Amino acid sequence: MAQVEEESQDGLKAGAIGFVDALVIGLNSTSPAYSIAAVIGALVALAGVHAPGIIIASFVPMLLIASAFFYLNRVDQDCGTTFSWVTRAMGPWAGWLGGWAITMTGILVVGSLADVGVSFGLRGFGLDDLADNAVVRQSLAVVLILVMTAICVAGTEGSAKLQNVLILLQVLFLLVFAVVAIYRVYTDDSSLDSVKPAWDWLNPFAAGGTALTAGLLLGVFMYWGWESAVNLTEEVEDSASAPGRAGIWSTILLLVTYVSVGFAVVAYAGTTFLTDNADEEEFVFALLATEVLGSWDWIVFFAVATSAIASTQTTILPASRTALSMARRRALPHAFGHVSHRFRTPDVSTWAVAGIAIAWYLIVNQISENALFDSLSALALLIAFYYALTGIACAVYYRKHLTESVKNFILIGVGPLIGSALLIWLLVEAIIDLSDPENSYSGVSWFGLGPPLVIGIGIALTGVLVMVYWRFTAPAFWDERPGVADPALVNGKQR
Amino acid sequence: MAVVLGYDESPGAERALSASIEVASAFGEPLVIVYAIGPPGVVGEEYASHREALLALGRTAVTRAVEAAHDAGVPTTVELVDAKPSQALLDVADKHDARVIVVGTWGESPIKGAMLGSTPHKLLHLSARPILCVPAAE
Repeated sequence: MAQVEEESQDGLKAGAIGFVDALVIGLNSTSPAYSIAAVIGALVALAGVHAPGIIIASFVPMLLIASAFFYLNRVDQDCGTTFSWVTRAMGPWAGWLGGWAITMTGILVVGSLADVGVSFGLRGFGLDDLADNAVVRQSLAVVLILVMTAICVAGTEGSAKLQNVLILLQVLFLLVFAVVAIYRVYTDDSSLDSVKPAWDWLNPFAAGGTALTAGLLLGVFMYWGWESAVNLTEEVEDSASAPGRAGIWSTILLLVTYVSVGFAVVAYAGTTFLTDNADEEEFVFALLATEVLGSWDWIVFFAVATSAIASTQTTILPASRTALSMARRRALPHAFGHVSHRFRTPDVSTWAVAGIAIAWYLIVNQISENALFDSLSALALLIAFYYALTGIACAVYYRKHLTESVKNFILIGVGPLIGSALLIWLLVEAIIDLSDPENSYSGVSWFGLGPPLVIGIGIALTGVLVMVYWRFTAPAFWDERPGVADPALVNGKQR
Repeated sequence: MAVVLGYDESPGAERALSASIEVASAFGEPLVIVYAIGPPGVVGEEYASHREALLALGRTAVTRAVEAAHDAGVPTTVELVDAKPSQALLDVADKHDARVIVVGTWGESPIKGAMLGSTPHKLLHLSARPILCVPAAE
């Protein structure tokens, strides 16, 4: 009779990824060029010269939450995420909302990614007129999303190496931009009203209350995704291994790139230019690239375009996998759990994510020019929400192990909880600020509130309604009971 | 030695199954049925769920194949391997010192196959062992 032999392998195969691969995964998880292009304009408009300080400060909650991701990944391995962890630690209601938030972040950001990818790509070819034409840009962005979704479903061969090169080039080009800009500041060669960098710029508190909270929230968006780089370090106990080192190096590179670009932008442009162009956040980085690099500006445009396009793809897959995971645990309709026989990918959930993302992108662009930026702020609210939830889930899930050692107590308990507290504080402050429409980028009022808050509340309400509906039509998922970390996995786990 | 069959949901899989049973009984060798459960795409969020979904698919798929082989009186082993299909087949073929690797084809154009990563296409180039490609019935 037949016997079934299963190779049960936990997590990544040892030595499966080399230093360069791991470095690339670490860098690509945050897509630095896109993040900078999307956020830096708004950040300097909010915080002025103190933008570099905010960039560093917002890494702190990220670091604390990443610790939660690292430890939760150890007991529920293979890169499960917020949905499964929160369900296990705090029960189905909280878990469902976490899964909803994470899928919605994917849906919200895909439109912005494609938009930035198309717009910077066209500028890279010198087609600025087309990039400024809303109809052309939006049609191309929709085509881009469709193509990237098809690639996610069907997979492609042989592009991995090319992608590695593009991602490393992207960081290199950003650093070139920063070095050239700062060099021209010191040789008084700036085409704008430049200012010399000062250490004081690193002080985030000098920016003032509203600027600090709104800036930190944008900063969280900049580092969003970085937690998956942390999981690389788990591959081994001895950090001498390639992925472990790559995880650390990618973080250092990321911080250096962000902070030096922050310095370069503020120093080169000077505060007058930035205040004058404050309502053009989306284009500040593009404008500056041309000012700083002249006819070489295309290297920055292509860096941002490749970063955004690559992320369109890497964002759709996780969002659809969360939907797959929710469907398999009966938290969503069965259809979302369908896996394509031919391609072995979750085809239904992938197309659903892409479809909703396209609809959202088109609708939001009809409502307002700046709505894409407002939806980025809404996105930051959602990210803060599910990160905070994950931090709390970590401490709750591990509650029986917190007192075992000082290291456990700090890294698993106190750290993630402080991270969550910081994020909740940011969330509350941001909600208070955004309830005054004057404080959003578009300055428009929706129902007497700022658009980002309306978007955030809308998504949360929709989530709650869908959840309650699903609770009463298909209650199976609500039979899941919260538990605690399996003691056998907490200490004895050696990979 | 053994006969290794890559069994999946391809249109050629059923004919590949009967071909492999014929070969295995002709040589009097055991049949090894391989199903790869390595999810495509990068490692990342909810990788485990994706893998489990494939594992469930694989279990259902191979059950039918095992029954058919059992009815034909061919001793059968099933291997669910955590890798992409072509690599899984090459590894299992080495492990069992396979006489031949049998796979079904999707009957698609060579360019489409190259773009989408056709398993028979890769095997033909990479394998040090003979490959038997079985197309779907006309």
